[in-house]
Amino acid sequence: MLIFEPHIHMFSRVTDDYEQLSLAGVRALLEPAFWLGQNRTSVGTFIDYYETLIGWERHRAQQFGIHHFCTMGLNPREANDNSINRDVLAILPRYCEKDSCIGVGEIGLDDQTKTEEIMMSEQLELARNHDLPVLVHTPHRDKMKGFQRCIAIVKEANFPMERVLLDHGNEETIKITRDLGCWSGFSIYPNTKMDPARMVSIVLEYGIERFVINSAADWGVSDPMMVPRTCVKLEQAGVPREKVEQLVWNNPIDFFAQSGRINAEMLAQPASANLRETFDGNSVLRGQDPDKM
Amino acid sequence: MTQLQRPSMVFAPMSTAELRALLGPAAEQADEILATLRTNRSRLPVAFPGLPRRFGKAVAGGGQRLFGEATVDLDAFRTCDLVAAYLVTSLDATEEEVLDVFAHGDIEERAMLFRCLNFMPLSSTTSRLFGEALRTNIVLHLEAAMCDSDLLARTLKSGTIDADTGNRLLLKFAFIGMDLTRALNIESHANATLSTMLQDLATEREAAGRSVWKHTYRMLGHAVCPGALGRLIGGLEHGDDGVRHAAADGLLAMRNNDSKLQPLLAQFAQERLPREPRETVRELLQQLATN
Repeated sequence: MLIFEPHIHMFSRVTDDYEQLSLAGVRALLEPAFWLGQNRTSVGTFIDYYETLIGWERHRAQQFGIHHFCTMGLNPREANDNSINRDVLAILPRYCEKDSCIGVGEIGLDDQTKTEEIMMSEQLELARNHDLPVLVHTPHRDKMKGFQRCIAIVKEANFPMERVLLDHGNEETIKITRDLGCWSGFSIYPNTKMDPARMVSIVLEYGIERFVINSAADWGVSDPMMVPRTCVKLEQAGVPREKVEQLVWNNPIDFFAQSGRINAEMLAQPASANLRETFDGNSVLRGQDPDKM
Repeated sequence: MTQLQRPSMVFAPMSTAELRALLGPAAEQADEILATLRTNRSRLPVAFPGLPRRFGKAVAGGGQRLFGEATVDLDAFRTCDLVAAYLVTSLDATEEEVLDVFAHGDIEERAMLFRCLNFMPLSSTTSRLFGEALRTNIVLHLEAAMCDSDLLARTLKSGTIDADTGNRLLLKFAFIGMDLTRALNIESHANATLSTMLQDLATEREAAGRSVWKHTYRMLGHAVCPGALGRLIGGLEHGDDGVRHAAADGLLAMRNNDSKLQPLLAQFAQERLPREPRETVRELLQQLATN
């Protein structure tokens, strides 16, 4: 089964994870720009980070046959930092035009401050200017209120709902998003929040239309294999294979194809993997013989 | 062969009208982008990344063409490369602007900029980007910088980059295993130092049981170094057709540079001729076998 993992922070993961993902059927993944675990002190670190997303991480993924895409944005947590947020917004247009950038994100709310709301609104405008869909991070605390506020901001901006993916949803949030026309993302975690069993229940009750599932794996306790694991659980629960594949392959492609920068055809083959190539002189092989890999 | 060392000079770029003519139906859309950039040239880094998806990566076609001082093989240039060159030359982009796009560019942006160099005046921008080519192993970039035109040969001939940099670029060319015939006129840069570098790489590869860049034989024939004659004569017995062809080619170049070698080379050519299965190689051996 082919899998498009639509939210994973590979910047924080080891190369072995790429190999495991590839072996589990992940042919494409999306890495949203996000918070690195501690605050950054200047816009320069954002520049380097964004360039890693379009450069080294793409190269690393390709070595394992995985197509790597990203979304660019100022994450809500750092949106609150007035010493850098304006500078970051100023550099984003050039990164939103990169070929592998297929959306704006993660934007949204975290602490649900006024500044976060302003930055989210401005980045909806950024997405409109670059004709990109948006990936919206919703708060892990006071989630219902955060969801409602995110939806209100999207509506106030008159941004098309079908181009919005509201992420980190759960059983409660479906009730308010199901009829909006937006897409819903569910992040499956190993021990906390949404888990595979709960996701199975959601699919059995609500189906798979405009749903995507992801691992949101990052630098914390998380599991990049959560999408493949959930696929197994779904099939064991009797969900037909074609429906599972619709959920984990076609749906994310359909959503991000709204960028006009990807389609199923270009993902028909694995990413080219020339193990002899290096990126900025750097290789994932660490001296190993490419012929023996 | 003596390496030409000329003072740095700036050749005239090709006219932007010629470039525009190559764009065909894409010219109007390119003009729209150009008009926007003329109003606000700080948008160049925003316009550049979208060129491949807006104009496509299909090969422009048209074979080898001469533009001003430059020879380019349009069969290897993509429409987006030509649009990029049209924008950069029309705007007369500064070194700072070009290097900014390169430094923050993705794989495709950098490839387009390397291709753009063919249509820009040779300058310190050329030199700086060849320096970047030396730092990468990405085949797309090395091809864009060094193949399908005489850019590298012109840059060396003008002294825009020095012979040592040229040698290291060509060593990388060999290391990656690219086709030397795609670097137009590069034989003119053959020199004993480069031959020694290629010979050493070949020896190292052989010791590791790996294949040797076949064009090594060709380059060694153009500029002799210790061991070159033995390698080339031995190359006539190699099991690979391409190596035998390159060795025969190299021996012809060697003889043309040193007529005293003629009797010796003729002897080996005559001995090989009856056993050589490939017509193209036999033709070269025939030339070697006769005065």
